[in-house]
Amino acid sequence: MAVFPSASATRSDRGVNLRKRAEWGMTLPLMLGLAIFAGYPLVYLVLLAFSRSDLGQQFQGFVGFDNFDWALTGTDFPGSVGNAILFALIVPLIQLALGLYLAVVLNKIMRGGRLLRTIVLLPLMTPPVMVGVAWKLILNPSGGWLNGVLLRWGVIDAPVSFFGNDMLAFPAIMAADTWQWTPLIVILCFAILQGVPHDVEEAAALDGAYPKRIFWTVTLPMIAPALLSVYLLRVIMALKTFDLVYTLTFGGPGNATNIATFEIWKTALREFDVGLASAQTLLFALTVSVVTLPIVLLLNHLEKRR
Amino acid sequence: MSTLLHDTNTDRLIRMAFLAAMLIFFALPIVYLFSTSFKTPDDVLQGRLLPDAATLKNYPNAFAHIPVARMIGNSVAVALLSGIITLVIAVPATYATIKLGAFHRTVPNITLASYAAPPIIALVPLFYLLQTAHLMDSIPGLALVHGLMNLPVAFWLLKSFVNDVPAEIDEAAWIDGAGYWHTLFSVILPLIFPGILATALICIILSYNEFLFASALTFSDTSRTITVGMSLFQGERLVNFGQMAAASFVGMMPIYLIAFFFQKYLVGGLTQGSIK
Repeated sequence: MAVFPSASATRSDRGVNLRKRAEWGMTLPLMLGLAIFAGYPLVYLVLLAFSRSDLGQQFQGFVGFDNFDWALTGTDFPGSVGNAILFALIVPLIQLALGLYLAVVLNKIMRGGRLLRTIVLLPLMTPPVMVGVAWKLILNPSGGWLNGVLLRWGVIDAPVSFFGNDMLAFPAIMAADTWQWTPLIVILCFAILQGVPHDVEEAAALDGAYPKRIFWTVTLPMIAPALLSVYLLRVIMALKTFDLVYTLTFGGPGNATNIATFEIWKTALREFDVGLASAQTLLFALTVSVVTLPIVLLLNHLEKRR
Repeated sequence: MSTLLHDTNTDRLIRMAFLAAMLIFFALPIVYLFSTSFKTPDDVLQGRLLPDAATLKNYPNAFAHIPVARMIGNSVAVALLSGIITLVIAVPATYATIKLGAFHRTVPNITLASYAAPPIIALVPLFYLLQTAHLMDSIPGLALVHGLMNLPVAFWLLKSFVNDVPAEIDEAAWIDGAGYWHTLFSVILPLIFPGILATALICIILSYNEFLFASALTFSDTSRTITVGMSLFQGERLVNFGQMAAASFVGMMPIYLIAFFFQKYLVGGLTQGSIK
């Protein structure tokens, strides 16, 4: 090696080249894929948003900020964004509370694990459209299970139309969403709880603390950052909700359950106003980042403190 | 002293009641859907848990009403093809990012950003892209969209599994003269097989269950998926709930079979990918 320093240099050069080639070869398809799925749509949307475009004929002319103006002042879009944010921030909280408590309970009883796991897993796996069908059957005014039970018990005199009532339509969608996604939170919280070191809890128990007190003062602060990241994941997913609204209420009654994704879909594929839909999409994407950013920052802060 | 360490009976009772309530909550919609699929139209209106006089007619009638079998076949084909596309792209990229340190900041950031973006963003542009590529209303077209859609999920699931493989194993293979691709395929892949299986299953399920892209990008019987087929019941003025339940139940079966046989891998994949 000492005799032929140049030879070894070229060999290691070749090694570096091989490594670079492998790096590029392995990651390029992913970058291309994301460019097609995320990069190209974003560029295309910006162009569409400043133009008059319908589904059949795009780019009929440059219109400046007209589409944005109209989206904010002349359409149901602002209300639908409000609905989407409300839904995406509240529903995951309910699911996190239910899911965490269920995980705590399951963590205490370890019998029947397989059966419980199957029952918990099924709602999560069900296609959202079929979740819609199942909940339509439960809540339907004619022949719905819930109306049947309430009528037989004499709680109500006439069937309630859950999806036709301003006050009940959103809770109905929330119930279906909670049914589908609480299982994911149970699975994640169960894993989080299993990762809690026993010695800390045991030390607190030896000091005479009650189990409930141990949970609130020792366990919960320890798992808080993990719970926050589960919440963030669910908020992001909830902002994408579309199928349940489509199958259960179609945004109604009126605009009571109209959420941004559904409003954009209607504008693009029912009214064919692609320019306006693109402006709405960009505004919604901006809103999504603004809503999720504080949670991300809080998460980073908590993780740094540990 | 020992009474201090244990829960009271009331606590235990509350826990058990909550557990029972949640299990009924989780099971009820599926049980009711299944039971409705055996009800006559008159029976449906009763709103009782079990059918009065069970009928099997809803199943053949649903299959006659919409091409259920064909649509399930389309869904399965799209899901499998998209799963292959996702893994072929995501596995090498994850390996290079984690083990070779290639773009180890850029790749995680852009995958996360594209996961956070609601899919509605991509709908209209991809609509035109498929039209231009003559892939509209086709199984490969929808599979490609689903395959790309699931890249971020696959990357984040695979990342934790690849991370678990000690760096010494790769380095030993490289020193032995194995190339990077060779190391990936013959050394790493067998080690992370459970992770790859879990990722594949989750991506396949996400594709099978997907509705938004499927409804906009497929419209004839040659490619329409079962989730789109189910939405066809919605448009009707008088919905036949028995038939709708029957079609739903059959449509859910492929996923439930996966959930039943692979639950260990699914739970493992979901927890690994999200917690670590």
